[in-house]
Amino acid sequence: MKHRWLSAILGGTLLLSLLAGCGGPGTEFDGTNKSSGNSDTLKIYNWGEYTGEDLIDNFEEEYDCHVIMEYFDSNEMMYTKISAGDSYDVLIPSDYMIERLMKENYLQPLDKEIITNIDLLADDCRGLDYDPENTYSIPYFWGSVGIVYNKNTVSRDDLEREGWNILTDTKYAGRLYLYDSERDSFMMALKALGYSMNTDNEDEINAAYEWLCNVNDTMQPVYVTDEIIDNMINGIKDIGIVYSGDAAYILSENPDMGYYCPDQGTNIWSDAMVIPKNASNPELANLFINYVLTYDASMDNTETVGYTSSNADVMADAYGEGGIYEGNEAYIPRSGCEKDEVFRDNEVLRKKLSELWIKVKAK
Amino acid sequence: MKQFRSMAYPYVAWISVLIVIPMLLIIAYAFTVEGTAFFQGQFTLANFARFFSDAVFIQVLLRSLRVAILTTIVCLLLGYPAAYAIARAGKRSTFLILVITLPTWINMLVRTYAWVGILQDDGLLNHLLGLFGIGPLQMMYTDFAVVLGMVYNFLPFMILEIHTSLSKMDPSFLEAASDLGANRTQAFLRVTLPMSVPGIVSGITLVFLPAVSSFFIPKLLGGGQYVLIGNVIESQFLTSGNWSFGSALSLIMAIIIMLSMFLTRRLDRNRGIDV
Repeated sequence: MKHRWLSAILGGTLLLSLLAGCGGPGTEFDGTNKSSGNSDTLKIYNWGEYTGEDLIDNFEEEYDCHVIMEYFDSNEMMYTKISAGDSYDVLIPSDYMIERLMKENYLQPLDKEIITNIDLLADDCRGLDYDPENTYSIPYFWGSVGIVYNKNTVSRDDLEREGWNILTDTKYAGRLYLYDSERDSFMMALKALGYSMNTDNEDEINAAYEWLCNVNDTMQPVYVTDEIIDNMINGIKDIGIVYSGDAAYILSENPDMGYYCPDQGTNIWSDAMVIPKNASNPELANLFINYVLTYDASMDNTETVGYTSSNADVMADAYGEGGIYEGNEAYIPRSGCEKDEVFRDNEVLRKKLSELWIKVKAK
Repeated sequence: MKQFRSMAYPYVAWISVLIVIPMLLIIAYAFTVEGTAFFQGQFTLANFARFFSDAVFIQVLLRSLRVAILTTIVCLLLGYPAAYAIARAGKRSTFLILVITLPTWINMLVRTYAWVGILQDDGLLNHLLGLFGIGPLQMMYTDFAVVLGMVYNFLPFMILEIHTSLSKMDPSFLEAASDLGANRTQAFLRVTLPMSVPGIVSGITLVFLPAVSSFFIPKLLGGGQYVLIGNVIESQFLTSGNWSFGSALSLIMAIIIMLSMFLTRRLDRNRGIDV
């Protein structure tokens, strides 16, 4: 769920794919050229800035192998490459996309003989609805979507009373950032109206569309992606729709900012590690997944990236006394709110949303 | 000359692999049913119908054309005097050309990102304005920011093209004009300007084309709500996964561009002979 350094990554992948396209298999090039002498290569396809500082180096050393990491900035971009037949050993997409990959038969079951660390998973991100037995996926990071707000200028009462509808409160017009993503935007619109975010009822979807148009027409929102992180840290605007992991980082950098998940419900999401059917090194892939689950690797991940760890102990320690996110209200996703949902793969909704989202913005 | 013909083969191979085949694919996708799956084979005009039946897409197209035309005009107004001055600068012109091309040594994305830092609410420019008691002005996410970003990125193309045609001009034409009694303004209007039309035309082409289809400049400087046709095409491929509609949009765009190029070329020919 992270799109920072979009530009650098985009440029990098373009160059890589060009080179790969020209050279064909066997001439992969990633600039580090560490692979000499060892044939074991692990190819990972991941979000940008989504791994711990030393995680890859440590894994390479421990398993005497070479890791190639490529980056995507949307689940859909990843899907496009996978469906075109590109081969990777590990992917780290989001829940609804994993469900789609499972349905369309792109994934292979994980080897539980190798992934013994599965017991370290936090309860809240084990056996989620899209993969109840964790047959195909092991969560990597997880979190919620909520509102980051400036505690000095936005009243907590307004937030609690209005929930997502604070985005239609003209008192705050011109002071908000929306995340430029059709899923997250429609999620909050549907939740504001009291519907399920997985609806395929056309009337409800259209009502959400009207809600978003209203926000667009009356509130002068700015639609951004990862600029939101720096801009909220600098306090440029007062309200922003943010993933909890980014919110945790914003809160730790700017103490004026608070994080709030409306009672109307939100999206509890997870990004998880999966192994595609056409992986060329599934054994190493399983070893890698098992490695990420260890305390040290998970701690490295969460410390560097700021997203909530799927490892129960790491999560508790990072939030607890002396932890890097001690008492940070955005770090631990809430549990127990009945209206919170996980995105499901839903073809009707998927198509509708992409069409309507352009219309909301282009009006 | 015949013996050199084979030297063009690498280029022919290059354009057929990287331009002609992708173009054919775009056409094929544009006329088939939606999805990313390669050729479900069914012929359809639905992608075009969707474009023309929805006011939003037409609006987006018009906005893209408006921004591109505005960019081209500003580039021309800024670029012509600059190119003229450089062409008349004698020995220093090589150095001046270097200065013009210098920014293009740096990646375009990075240069555009730099403008975010300059233009944003607490950015460099607003700090400077603040010293004079002005602002802070909202500059990011406006037409101003997008056009500025485009002019900044594409201006060198305009200057270089016009400079090339001006520097090729034989100065004896101007001497002849003044011998025949023309003053400097007349000489410029009746000799220099007409002779630089080819440069102006290729400059316009080189600025208008990237401006009309640019998607990252509006995205960075205009925000997600600044939707141009390039952004719609990008989202069809990268987020909606509807390659067919994206291809249809690209095709419509390509046709509009070809038409406008055809018209500019005619202008070139007419002007060149008339005056």
